[in-house]
Amino acid sequence: MGRNVLNIYCLAVYTFLLAPIFVVVGASFNAGEFLTFPPQGLSLRWYFTFFENEVFLRAIGTSLWIAAVATFFSVIIGTMAAIHYVNFAGRYKEAVRVAALSPLLLPEILTAIALLFFLYDIGIGTTTMFGLLVGHVLMTLPFVFMNVSASLEAYDTDWSMAARSLGARPFTRFRRIMLPLIKPGMIGGALFSFVISFDIFTISLLLKSIGTATLPIQLFDYLKTNYTPEAAAVSTLSIVATITVVVIVEKVIGLKMHKF
Amino acid sequence: MTEVRLNRLTKIYSGGKPAVDSITLDIPSGQFVSLLGPSGCGKTTTLKMLAGFEDVTSGEIAFDGEDVGRVPAEDRDIGMVFQNYALFPHMTVQQNLAFGLEMRKVSKAEIKRRVQATLEMVQLDHLADRYPAQLSGGQQQRVAIGRALTIEPRILLLDEPLANLDAKLREEMRVFIRDLQKRVGITTVYVTHDQAEAMTMSDLVVVMFDGHIAQAGAPREIYETPKTAKVAGFVGQVNLIEAPMDPATPGHAATPFGPVPVTAPGVGETVTLALRPEAIDIAPAGVPGTPATIERVQYSGAIVDYTLRFADGTAMEVKTIPRHPFATGDAVSLSVDLARFRQLEREY
Repeated sequence: MGRNVLNIYCLAVYTFLLAPIFVVVGASFNAGEFLTFPPQGLSLRWYFTFFENEVFLRAIGTSLWIAAVATFFSVIIGTMAAIHYVNFAGRYKEAVRVAALSPLLLPEILTAIALLFFLYDIGIGTTTMFGLLVGHVLMTLPFVFMNVSASLEAYDTDWSMAARSLGARPFTRFRRIMLPLIKPGMIGGALFSFVISFDIFTISLLLKSIGTATLPIQLFDYLKTNYTPEAAAVSTLSIVATITVVVIVEKVIGLKMHKF
Repeated sequence: MTEVRLNRLTKIYSGGKPAVDSITLDIPSGQFVSLLGPSGCGKTTTLKMLAGFEDVTSGEIAFDGEDVGRVPAEDRDIGMVFQNYALFPHMTVQQNLAFGLEMRKVSKAEIKRRVQATLEMVQLDHLADRYPAQLSGGQQQRVAIGRALTIEPRILLLDEPLANLDAKLREEMRVFIRDLQKRVGITTVYVTHDQAEAMTMSDLVVVMFDGHIAQAGAPREIYETPKTAKVAGFVGQVNLIEAPMDPATPGHAATPFGPVPVTAPGVGETVTLALRPEAIDIAPAGVPGTPATIERVQYSGAIVDYTLRFADGTAMEVKTIPRHPFATGDAVSLSVDLARFRQLEREY
């Protein structure tokens, strides 16, 4: 009895939280001129509009490019930070952890403003995409760090010692033993990183250079002046894109990690 | 075949007292040596220094006369078996066994041949393509030993390898490891805190306390002629008798069983004697011997343990096959071959 009440309660909460997403997806198939739900007739016209809208296409390209590059650097830096944190930080362990996670703990707007000032102070400014990339790496770093630290905590240092006794030098030990065993954490971190980067708004708003709007920024700009279902179509496509990335990675690399 | 010599080997961790304090030990080629002692006695630290995982603070480790104390672990040519096996979880049994050979740039065909030979040696050829997680504890243990041996190391080191196995399997593995070691003929150092393991498997048992070697010798020598009370107690049950010198027979200590010849200390001092519980014969009262009363009986089938008390209040443990159905409170008569007494060194 009590269990049923709990189940219904959970269902209600999830419905409340997820319903807007279904509304957006539903609204994207609208045949009418306005963003309404339920849709006034079914049509793919707003998807066609989107694919003819160069501004949106460029924004998606920018977002994908930034997410990919930021993830690349995030995974490298975050993995190195995690290795240091788990194996070498010693009594500074807690300090290292807080530092690595601080982009999550601080308000994004604060980080964005600080970065903006800093970039202009050191003369880099926001004329190139460099600042924007730095911001995205910074914001995605904690996710790589957390995932890789978790898999490193499960890493038995005797494995490295065993490899050593069998004649493996430091780099070989890293490449043949540690890397394959923390790879699941790195892939998980990379996935998070990619999806988070795709979604970052405040940092992008302050650090973007002229003409390099990411998708969330472009969508925001668009919604300021327009209220067509095209926005819903763009949102739906980005949801689909995110899920696709996760599924592809899971299929291509994910299956391997479950083998042991 | 490698002869190992430790010469005044010492390990001091920063600011502490020595974990291993100037130990000297010769291990003849092909011998099976156990480092036996309680946790914190320095046995594992000694093993890690032998493996090259710990730096030597001072002293020397020599393999066949060549000092290897500064040779990094990866170049030392040692086979190491870890307590938790430390098999690479992302590699199959076969890949685990091949790893050391790959590091040595052995040709593919040769690797295949030697891995196959090892699989047969540790009786695992049917599990070559399994992952470690799919194996039982005993099978993982055999892979770990096989992996250490495929590289044909100079010495084999084992760190409490049976600690994680259940009692029955542990006994099987003891025999397996000992047979394999004899067959391969490799010099082996085995770390354990289990005296039964050390006694049954070793050519040489090295008992360690507080970073020192308390006594090194064949299992029988350690058991029958322990030097100190601590050694005597660590390798088995023992009755310790604090005996005064016998005024009637010079050069003898007075015990409840009669005068025992000892190396006399100064006048008025006592000597410590050790007597194994199974050295005492127990018979019904009336038979000539030393009278005592049974205080406790612990019957365990093949063996029965008695706690006995003498008229003067001292207690003694006796271990024997259950010949007489003695019960608590029975008066009995004890006898002992006086040659079974061991005079122990004083520990200061």
